[in-house]
Amino acid sequence: MLTTLINVLSSGLIMGGVYAIISMGLSMQYGVARILNVSHGEFIMLGAFLCFTLVRSHVHPILSMLLCVPVMFVIGFVLHRTIYKKLSDVSGSTAAFESNSMLVSFGLMFVVQNVALLLWGSEQKGYTFLMRSVKILGSPIALNRLLVLVFAVAISFAFYIFLERSRLGKAIRAVSQDPSAARLLGVRRTRVAAICFGIGAILAGCAGALITMINQINTSMGMNYTIIAIIVVVLGGMGSIPGSLLGGFILGFIGTVVNYIDPSLSLVAYYLIIIVLLLVKPSGLMGGKS
Amino acid sequence: MQILNGSGVNKAFGGRKAVDNVDFHVDENEILGLIGPNGAGKTTLFNLISGAIKADSGTITYKGRVISGMKPYRICHMGLARTFQKAKNFPDMTVRENVLMGAVFGKKGTDNAAAERKTDEILSFVGLEDFRDKSPGDIALALQKRVEVARALATSPDVLMLDEVMAGLNPTEVGEAMELISKIRGSGVTIIMIEHVMKAIMSLCDRIIVLHHGQKIEEGTPEHISNSKTVIDVYLGE
Repeated sequence: MLTTLINVLSSGLIMGGVYAIISMGLSMQYGVARILNVSHGEFIMLGAFLCFTLVRSHVHPILSMLLCVPVMFVIGFVLHRTIYKKLSDVSGSTAAFESNSMLVSFGLMFVVQNVALLLWGSEQKGYTFLMRSVKILGSPIALNRLLVLVFAVAISFAFYIFLERSRLGKAIRAVSQDPSAARLLGVRRTRVAAICFGIGAILAGCAGALITMINQINTSMGMNYTIIAIIVVVLGGMGSIPGSLLGGFILGFIGTVVNYIDPSLSLVAYYLIIIVLLLVKPSGLMGGKS
Repeated sequence: MQILNGSGVNKAFGGRKAVDNVDFHVDENEILGLIGPNGAGKTTLFNLISGAIKADSGTITYKGRVISGMKPYRICHMGLARTFQKAKNFPDMTVRENVLMGAVFGKKGTDNAAAERKTDEILSFVGLEDFRDKSPGDIALALQKRVEVARALATSPDVLMLDEVMAGLNPTEVGEAMELISKIRGSGVTIIMIEHVMKAIMSLCDRIIVLHHGQKIEEGTPEHISNSKTVIDVYLGE
């Protein structure tokens, strides 16, 4: 009994940690850059395959994950600077930009997915890493899962502190709360938006890399994570980073428990949460007034 | 000495001319009032000066440099700051954090310690020390407007544009706001203010510009404006 409990608990924490990272990324892109990035899951997949390819070329998995950071940032930043910046210039209003950018990210999803399919094929890939296990309270937990948990929690909290403390973090919060006031106070709004899109891609990439350490991956894995990220962001409150952090862990736990009872029910459980949430508190757990 | 100057400034929304061929200038360290009926184009003119929107034609120069067409953050870095008619404070930050944003980003190369120091100075300058840790949504309207002014001041402006900072305030609060504005001018800042509270405009301003349907219909000292037949016609004729 205790073993099962610890198993479910640790799985919940691990999944929750990964979901939290993914969702904070999406939240950054939506809350600051006003892009509901439907291709977010594809960036997770991209991060996973980048990491996988590096590991196959005998780079250590943790180093591979760290290498994903600059690569993913550049991809995200350049995408924003080229496509989304241009889109924002031609869209008359924020509302128009939001719908245009969502459509573009939808198209991007297919492009990234198919390029990945060409490069890596459609079969499951994976590698083994730290398969030994340690005993915690008498029940064995695989070291790789423990490591992913530590990284997921560390990344989440590091990111949160970065937002609270750093100069760039302040600019990001200012833009997300009132873009027009922020730029009149000397904040470079479009630059901040591009950086946020890049940070969103970093978080997606890191999550993807973490996933490779515990799971098998394939090129069509992205969509599933996009759905989860959107659910968590709605659950936590649109654009709220602490909300995404909390929502990620909640969804991770619920998902794990339901998965333990009957795996086929997890998606049903997620949608049920959303329905209940929208009826009870439509702004999300930590959402603002709007 | 003219610090800010606009010539032939035009802006239309759809077919309607919001600002119609307006020429204006602001002298260093004066208080310039901008008045006119609702929809006269006052706020639009502020938006044009601060770079929030682009003029269709005309040029605006600040300290001898053309600023029309520049990005808002650059205009802010050059020392032009503004407040909004409807307070646009950051809702999820404390009063102090709001002001800190102006201090951190307003001038280039401000380090954190200097920004923190500046923030505390400004909080006491405008009399908000007691509310520093409150959320701007939880304090009285008069104080919310003060937060806006403090945040704009934290960017170290040479010119401060105030958009109806007295709207909705009671007479005591209007008096306090007037005191604050004179104090800001006393510290060497040039002020342009949009205001409907005539008592404040008449006693504070050195010069007043009257806008109507986007056009400048009168300009001069408060005495000149209060005796002007055109202005009286506009205000009473509707």
